[in-house]
Amino acid sequence: MGVRVGRAARNELAELRARVEGIEASIAELRRHHLRLAELTDLVQELLVPLASRDEDRVAAAIDKFQQGL
Amino acid sequence: MADLTGRAVTAARRVVGKVGRTRVVRVDDTGMGLVVHGDDRVVDVLFDGRRIWSFWLVRDTVRVPRSLSRRTVAWPDRMRPYLKGRTELVFRDHVLGADIGHFDQQFGDATARVAFVNSQGLEISLDKSGRFSPTFGGRTAEQLEPLLDAMDTVIAMLAELDVQAFPAYGTLLGAVREGQFLGHDSDADLGYVSRHTVPADVITESYRLQRAVSERGFATYRYSGAAFRIDVEESDGSVRGLDLFGGFMDSGRLYLMGEVGTEYDESWLLPLGTCTLAGREYPAPARPEKLLEAMYGPSWRVPDPAFKFETPRSTTLRLNDWFRGMTVFRRDWERKLIGAGGRVPKPVPSGLARYVAGQAPEGAEIFDVGAGLGVDALWLAVQGRKVTAYDYVTRASRGALIGAGRRGVDLTARPLNLTDFRSVLSEGARVVREPGERVILARHVLEATNRTGREGLMRFASLALRGGGTLYADVWTGGGEPPFGLRPLAIDRLVELTEQHGGAVLSVDPVPDGDGSENQIRRLVAQWA
Repeated sequence: MGVRVGRAARNELAELRARVEGIEASIAELRRHHLRLAELTDLVQELLVPLASRDEDRVAAAIDKFQQGL
Repeated sequence: MADLTGRAVTAARRVVGKVGRTRVVRVDDTGMGLVVHGDDRVVDVLFDGRRIWSFWLVRDTVRVPRSLSRRTVAWPDRMRPYLKGRTELVFRDHVLGADIGHFDQQFGDATARVAFVNSQGLEISLDKSGRFSPTFGGRTAEQLEPLLDAMDTVIAMLAELDVQAFPAYGTLLGAVREGQFLGHDSDADLGYVSRHTVPADVITESYRLQRAVSERGFATYRYSGAAFRIDVEESDGSVRGLDLFGGFMDSGRLYLMGEVGTEYDESWLLPLGTCTLAGREYPAPARPEKLLEAMYGPSWRVPDPAFKFETPRSTTLRLNDWFRGMTVFRRDWERKLIGAGGRVPKPVPSGLARYVAGQAPEGAEIFDVGAGLGVDALWLAVQGRKVTAYDYVTRASRGALIGAGRRGVDLTARPLNLTDFRSVLSEGARVVREPGERVILARHVLEATNRTGREGLMRFASLALRGGGTLYADVWTGGGEPPFGLRPLAIDRLVELTEQHGGAVLSVDPVPDGDGSENQIRRLVAQWA
């Protein structure tokens, strides 16, 4: 009986450990989305409008200004 | 506050009884031997009266086997090149001011005095990060004026942008504790707490601030999504960094890049009060001691020039995941490349450069991505090619540029950070609009970065090579001694990644390593339609 309970407890512990590791990995993945989202937001805000204008000089100036601030 | 001061004084009294028995007993070219009694404490090492280094008697030393009190410590690697000549060497307890060692010391055979000066002739010492910098200790009030001016300028500029910045970290500590910059510190830190509560918004705001600072004529250098440095030139010509750390509050917790994550009451921050630094008044959190405690622990009132942050893992993980990861391995490559980057390299090509020179269509521009010192780039330019050398360590290729200028060949250097999405996409958007054929040479780049960087290179290739351009990449896949900064890469994974980004893989042939080592190298050739 005691052996069976011990084994069950060990199995449960191993399973819980694996689940915690999985949850930690998921949280880390979600947190990392902030940087990517910010990068994309910044690119869209700063470059999309000038690029859509199809005015070559304006596009070049916008990219140049953007890269100066990187 | 009174309680803390009382505790510090009691602790200081306790060590006074012990300090007489602690001493440095031996010094040589490799390090020193000590007899250490009592609590751990900080010792300053003075060369001819000037502090160069500080260490903790226990934390930073090694116990001699089978001895209770004898310990040894080696000179830091970065100090060794300077240890030539004679000096008056003093070891001084930083808090008590008592000397625990005094030597008339000779290092090596040189007859001159030991001198810690940088290439500009400025006196330098080791700061808390273990780097040699012109620390504040040797600076006159007049020399600090430009930095104080720059702090005023930046704080005022940020206020215009709706951000209330204040001195942070060592600068706040110096101001609150001593009314001065800390003598052993080498940079000035500013912090602000964003009005945003979501990291993505905090990062976008930091990008906006960097652009605004850059537009006002300051050079900037980004560390992470929430921190960047503003370079300020001082009256003696030295350039000193002013670090700007972003933070935010969410549900009663404050996170401040790069070390703070703590329970925090907004009333401890706002409305901002003031602190005095070198005679000037600056904004400060309403209760600066609360922030200092979060930064340096409850013993922040006791000076510690060898302080090391012990940031809780949970805070480091959060700050890493939210804000870091856009300058992967950059510091290692800066250390490796910047020192050598000023010399004009001999244009001796790698096998890959020779191969590309033979393969690339006549008139095609060559992008050397991860160009490093620019040796291949310079050689290709000398062969009559139009070449752009890309790297995130932009200073590495300055010697190659000088060489190209002397020869009158067509070499340009541009910054490209493969782990920064904005850098990759904006440069891709710039070059895709330029007419003409292009090829990319990427020699040991894909295995010198992480997956984000590899994706960055493939994204850049998919833009720059659109319409028939070719990527040539040499990759170390294992075997032999690991070359500096490289991690072996499975070629199958790389082929998969290339195809995911629209590249057609033409070949992944093995390449004999020119230097006779057992390194296994593959040459990936891929084309974009």
